[in-house]
Amino acid sequence: MGKYLLRRLNLFVATSLVLAGVLFYTTGLFPVDRITALSGIVSPSPAQVEQVTELYALNKNTPLQFSAFLQQRLSGDLGISITSQQSVSQELMARLPATLELANVAALLALVFGVPIGILASLTQHRLTQHAIMAMTLTGYSIPVFWLGLTLSLWFGVHLGWLPISGQINLLYEIEPVTGFILFDTWVSDSEYRMAAFLDALQHMILPSITLAVLPFTVVVRITRSAMLNIMNQTFIRAAEARGLSTAKIVLRHALPNALIPVLKHLGIMLGPFASYSIIVEVIFSWPGVGSWLVSGIYQRDYTVIQGGILVVALLIMLSSILIEIVHTATNPISRKELYASN
Amino acid sequence: MPQIKIYQEDEIPSPSLRIWQVFSSNPFAVLGLWLVICLLLLTVFGPLIAPYTAEQQDTQALLLPPSWDPAGTVEHFLGTDDLGRDIFSRLLHGAHLTFGMALWIVISALSVGLVIGSLSGMMKGIKSSILGHLLDALLSIPSMLLAILVVAVMGPGLENIFWAVGLALTPQFVRSTHLAVREESQKEYVKAAILDGANPLQIFWFVIMPNVWETIIVQTTLAISVAILDIAALGFLGLGAQAPSPEWGAMIAQGLDNLLTAPWTVTIPGATILVSVLSINLVGDGLRTALAPR
Repeated sequence: MGKYLLRRLNLFVATSLVLAGVLFYTTGLFPVDRITALSGIVSPSPAQVEQVTELYALNKNTPLQFSAFLQQRLSGDLGISITSQQSVSQELMARLPATLELANVAALLALVFGVPIGILASLTQHRLTQHAIMAMTLTGYSIPVFWLGLTLSLWFGVHLGWLPISGQINLLYEIEPVTGFILFDTWVSDSEYRMAAFLDALQHMILPSITLAVLPFTVVVRITRSAMLNIMNQTFIRAAEARGLSTAKIVLRHALPNALIPVLKHLGIMLGPFASYSIIVEVIFSWPGVGSWLVSGIYQRDYTVIQGGILVVALLIMLSSILIEIVHTATNPISRKELYASN
Repeated sequence: MPQIKIYQEDEIPSPSLRIWQVFSSNPFAVLGLWLVICLLLLTVFGPLIAPYTAEQQDTQALLLPPSWDPAGTVEHFLGTDDLGRDIFSRLLHGAHLTFGMALWIVISALSVGLVIGSLSGMMKGIKSSILGHLLDALLSIPSMLLAILVVAVMGPGLENIFWAVGLALTPQFVRSTHLAVREESQKEYVKAAILDGANPLQIFWFVIMPNVWETIIVQTTLAISVAILDIAALGFLGLGAQAPSPEWGAMIAQGLDNLLTAPWTVTIPGATILVSVLSINLVGDGLRTALAPR
């Protein structure tokens, strides 16, 4: 296992280096002055020019420039935003929790509803139910997410007027940000309208999280179904049946843990598309997260914001996909066996 | 009259015929195939049969509802937008932008990915590892972020989306080809061919590839649907096709201002995207079932 972890760590470092290299290269291609593209200072004074040149080793050769760039970025200095002249890392930190909260709620929704429906689709003998579930997942997989978000907000927000369609919480509630996770913050805040604020935040959460959950939900249903179909034919299930165990026990105790392994693996693969979708969802529902921040960054040609945002988001995705892969290997003895055989 | 069997042995269908038999036994897959063929024809001939040009503005008919609405007319079958442009014609003109572009992107990404993937799959050791993992960094950048990066460098526009979506799709092809070639090359029949004295090129092309195509075909249909969704999403965000363009996602973005008074300017292009992606996914699903190990 130690050797395996070392190899994963190696892969993470290598891919992060490639990513940093790509970003370093594109920084040179941005249609602004190199000093502005790196630091975010518009029309710098001579003293600032000298300072930035010193920091990023701009008068040295390219490998030295790259290592200086790496040093700056790794020490957490992402420059300042070209439009707001605030530190990019601070802006990012203020926005990251909202994105993580939305993504986690959506992923949770997808798993909580997807796994049981996937099991139902695999166990039912009723053809209509099977076809209905498959048609539903195929449609969910094909629907353009921005159109889905617009249609949902048109119906439930405007025509029916049931749910709020923009932002994280009603501006009437003044909530002290502790962690940035709005549901948590409203829950622990000590104001007298704590409960009302929490419910309001929950209502704001419904439409964006459902819109975002559609894609992972369909994937979870399909993968769970095919994995369950595969596993229910195996001999150890027949052995469990022969011992006279109840169906519920066979499914929950013997089949489901095995079916969840491929689901976990596909969740890792889905991270990239999931992040793309969350950017669109954040823009549609004016969710104050990293996605809408990045898109407004590109509208304003805020090159430091684009650079910093892409670096951090891509690193987060790489890290979590590698973590998922490690959990997958740790919980799945079969893939561990392959691992030892190849070493 | 039922067919009478004269001979005892059945005719053994060839592999491709067998695939077609399984595929055509699924009515939804056949429906999807017909829809895809219609889409392909519209992509090529759409501009010829469109009643109006994409930019022609009819000032007498602004925000006209579709023809099945009491207020609509049959001259503008799917209604008009806020500038009096015929939505049906714009959809036809946009087919080669959204669907045709998606096809081009997938074909280019497929050819690049196939070459890199099969090279890295056939090689061993560190060279294979470097080639195989070279694009993993790209794989972890979501396509939307990659598009933002490309737009930051090259500015918005449909041509730049080619690079953004293509770069996002290529690593998937590299990875799936790499894995498929690697898996096949460890099987016994390949060893038999090596013992027969086949050179690496023959082994690759005549022994391994016939068994890899199936994976790649399924991956391609998936990639086409992803590409359509990405192009439309980027058009919607204003990073891809720009305002007067009849690209389907950009049409939705242009209809947004009138969403409350004229919802059909958003619903109809959206439904078009949904139907085209759905038909491709139906074909992909049917193919996957038909190609599954027999």
